[in-house]
Amino acid sequence: MDSEGRRKFLGVCLAGTAAAAAVAAGYPVFRYLAPRSGATGLQKLVISAADLHEGEAKFFEYGGSSAVLIKTKGGEMVALSAVCTHLGCIVQWVKEQQHFLCPCHGGQFAIDGTVLAGPPPKPLARIPVTVTGGNITIG
Amino acid sequence: MSLLKRLYRWVDLRVGIGEIADKELTGYLLPRNINAWYSLGSVLLVAFAIQVVTGMLLLVYYVPDAEKAFKSVNFIMNEVPFGWLIRLCHAVGSNTMIAALILHMLSTLVMGSYKSPREMNWLSGFLLFSLVQGISLTGYLAPWSQLSFWATTVATNSVSALPVAGPWMVEFLRGGKLVGPATLGRFFALHVAFLPLVIAMVIVVHIFLLKRTGVSPPPFGRSDTATPFQPERYRYQSHPGGIPFFPNYMLEDTTSICIYLAIFLGVVFFWPSMPFTPDAFVPADPFKTPAHIKPEWYFLANYQTLKIFPNELLGLTVQGAAMTFLALLPFADRSPERHPLKRPLFLTLVVGGILLWIALTVWGHFS
Repeated sequence: MDSEGRRKFLGVCLAGTAAAAAVAAGYPVFRYLAPRSGATGLQKLVISAADLHEGEAKFFEYGGSSAVLIKTKGGEMVALSAVCTHLGCIVQWVKEQQHFLCPCHGGQFAIDGTVLAGPPPKPLARIPVTVTGGNITIG
Repeated sequence: MSLLKRLYRWVDLRVGIGEIADKELTGYLLPRNINAWYSLGSVLLVAFAIQVVTGMLLLVYYVPDAEKAFKSVNFIMNEVPFGWLIRLCHAVGSNTMIAALILHMLSTLVMGSYKSPREMNWLSGFLLFSLVQGISLTGYLAPWSQLSFWATTVATNSVSALPVAGPWMVEFLRGGKLVGPATLGRFFALHVAFLPLVIAMVIVVHIFLLKRTGVSPPPFGRSDTATPFQPERYRYQSHPGGIPFFPNYMLEDTTSICIYLAIFLGVVFFWPSMPFTPDAFVPADPFKTPAHIKPEWYFLANYQTLKIFPNELLGLTVQGAAMTFLALLPFADRSPERHPLKRPLFLTLVVGGILLWIALTVWGHFS
């Protein structure tokens, strides 16, 4: 009867050691494979205003994702996330119609990001923009 | 627990895993006098598995491009969390695996396990030994350091001593006149795709042969009850009254694996510079050969042999002859006697061979 208790105790010790070994081996592998943090921080981005003409769009990377800056015909600056809210494709700027078209499922967004047509459930996310002198600061 | 038991019963009803476990684990009887040396096969399986897993992990960040390889290895070592650990495990693991492999071969030699009817086991094992040397050599180039670049230059160049086809073969191996980006491409493909696959397949054949012929009883210790080998027809050499693989011998296997892991991790943590010389930390420069370029310890004897012989072809021939003799040993050594002390000629050859190998290695190291 004593040996039964000892067997159980040793079994628990063995399982504990095995679990500890598995964690000791698994943790470095998890950290090794985990995406690197810090690189996606929302830093401010500065673009020269001279780079952009009226009615045109400029695509860039912002906060680890795709974004777009448009100078409206009135000269106003609008920055939006370029990721379609439907399934994550990158929207295209249709200069002639002055709206965005998602090539994947035909979603259409207005210049301010609101949904005009198609399946997207939400408008494109807006990103704050400030214009000071000749520079456009995004974020 | 009952859920696990029910799951087991469900699978067992369809596959009969209980029967396989009975036959292969508790019902698989080994010689009563079996010793710890027999567990080196399991150690090697674990060592190979570690190489495969760490190798796959390295592929996540390593870039096989001559322009970027060295930088990507530095990135793994310095930037990626625990990247140093994964790379060191891979680099040290290749060394400790070869050491275990040499011990496995030596135990087979000393205990005469290569003898009839196990010639094919020996041949497949010898093939594995050569393949592991090949995968070590091709992996050595991957970091694209001065060490790897010039070690590969020297290693591939030795083929040029072969008559007629030699120079052409060197160019074919390198993918060009000199070691360069083309060499990295083909060595990388061999190292990560071709050789691991072939090694895995030969391991399967090696274990299949072991299972078909049965474990050879050690020539010493307590007497074994093995069914005697009859040369005229196939028969599985069973060991009635032997010890079961599970749990008895699996415990021995686990002990050896733990000792191996202790040594392996001891080197990884306390002697991380072991697989590297200073040239391993300098990016490859095709226009500057560093002084004293030397291969890994397991190639030092071959390296020194080539230096001793005035003619490179002669040096290669001697090595080739020694390797061929070793490979064909079961066909030359036909006496059924397996006790090392009752085989004086053989024992002299083995001890002499080991001493020669050690002497050449030490000489090569200090020359």
